[in-house]
Amino acid sequence: MRISVGARTDVGRVRTNNEDSFKLVPELNLFILSDGMGGEAHGEIASNIAVQAVAAHCAEGRRDPSTPLLVEPRPELSTETNRLVSSVELANRMIYESAQKHPAQRGMGATVVAVWINDQRLSVAHVGDSRLYLLRAGDFQQLTQDHSLVAEQVRRGIISREQADSSDMQSVLIRALGIDPEVQVDADEHLLMEGDILVLCSDGLSRMVTDLEIASTLLSQNGLQPAADRLVELANEYGGEDNISVVVVRMEPRPEGLLARVWRWLNEPLNATSSAGGN
Amino acid sequence: MPKLILKFEAAVLKEVSVGGQPVTIGRAPDNDIQIDNLAVSSHHARVLAEDNKLFIEDLNSLNGTFVNNQRVQRVQLKQGDQVLIGKHHLVVDMGAVEAPALPDTRKVAAPKVEETMVLDTKKRKELLQQEAAGGGAPGAHERTQPVGTTATAPPRARVASLVVMEGSTDQREYLLSSKLTVIGKSDMATIKLKGWFKPKVAAQINKRDDGYYIGPADKLPTVNGQPIHGPTKLNEGDLIEVAGVKMNFVFKD
Repeated sequence: MRISVGARTDVGRVRTNNEDSFKLVPELNLFILSDGMGGEAHGEIASNIAVQAVAAHCAEGRRDPSTPLLVEPRPELSTETNRLVSSVELANRMIYESAQKHPAQRGMGATVVAVWINDQRLSVAHVGDSRLYLLRAGDFQQLTQDHSLVAEQVRRGIISREQADSSDMQSVLIRALGIDPEVQVDADEHLLMEGDILVLCSDGLSRMVTDLEIASTLLSQNGLQPAADRLVELANEYGGEDNISVVVVRMEPRPEGLLARVWRWLNEPLNATSSAGGN
Repeated sequence: MPKLILKFEAAVLKEVSVGGQPVTIGRAPDNDIQIDNLAVSSHHARVLAEDNKLFIEDLNSLNGTFVNNQRVQRVQLKQGDQVLIGKHHLVVDMGAVEAPALPDTRKVAAPKVEETMVLDTKKRKELLQQEAAGGGAPGAHERTQPVGTTATAPPRARVASLVVMEGSTDQREYLLSSKLTVIGKSDMATIKLKGWFKPKVAAQINKRDDGYYIGPADKLPTVNGQPIHGPTKLNEGDLIEVAGVKMNFVFKD
């Protein structure tokens, strides 16, 4: 399937530095986004390590499938999804070790959401509160579950979604890269269809702009880069309280095959066929 | 905003907010909450909000509308009320105003948090134990449990399989052990369809924490004769038909 992509990151209106990173690897159809945290410039370091490590490990796995995995492969996941999980483990380890080596970096961490598309199979791995959404036939859904305290409280039935949205505890994560030597990575697989649009974003977008507005922006913009630009603009219009990053990926419809064209030609009324032949 | 949570036995099927417009419940597809069960009348009941109060009205249904086991015609709904329609339950959640008291988690974490922070393992455990205690209050966990996620104690994931009843496939039975199972002619398909003009990807089955969901791909599958337009949870014994193949969904124990 042909895949097109648009992406944008922005510091927002409040913060002075951008701790988000993203990386697009179109030759692998691999797209990665990370939101870093930590004092001074360390959030940037952490998110940059995250996206680079994921990209490198997946590329290595593609070049040499015998490249060892960092964790036991899960039997319910495909080869690529297991590789993606392993790459997130690697990112975790690299951030953790860097922080251990450099005392100034203690406490730095990052979220990550990574998607790898092979044929029509979507592999997803994520840790933290950066999100993946799918827009399919007008239906917009979040495919990842935030690893945040409020999301966990909602899952456990302690607070309602509305309470979560207005909570001042939204920035508290229960999982992130770089905090412990190992991390629990969420992984999933989905079948992609022509016309599907995926959105990877940091919480700087999802906390400022509602799901409905994200979906309608995607539907109303021509082209993915303008859509990514517009989403960042909207988050800024609503206050831009955090760094804003967004990666938008679309499964482009396949050009019509020869057989389909012949079939259509055979089924067309006679007069339409003759006029087409006259061109 | 108040919410109605549609449940069948322990499973949460749907959440619907009640706002300006009445929420209609019934078997016909034009209802806001459609319950596809013969015990439910086509337009069975409706729920409406008046002056911040919720009321349920039975629309002369054949089998009746029950609130906390009492058959009702029109009655006010309160937080936690259990509405029975056919074999389905609706649980009333009045929303933030009347929500149960929150366990005070703030002491544990921090006062007001601006910067993103991560709870370390010890703190997380402390907090989750507190939450478990808070959430364990009678009935509290039922009310706000969202759709598609597991409860505090997630049920052990059961593995299911598809048994081919009719049609041409490469095996008679498929164990659904993967997160994603594709039905079609494609190389990525687990359930391989044979024959000309079969679609590359006919349908997909996703394994989630709370069970299996079938969804359309290039074809619209049917489950027990009903066409499936979006992800639909599979139940024991469901008959799936897609691209000329009939399969039976069964759990393996």
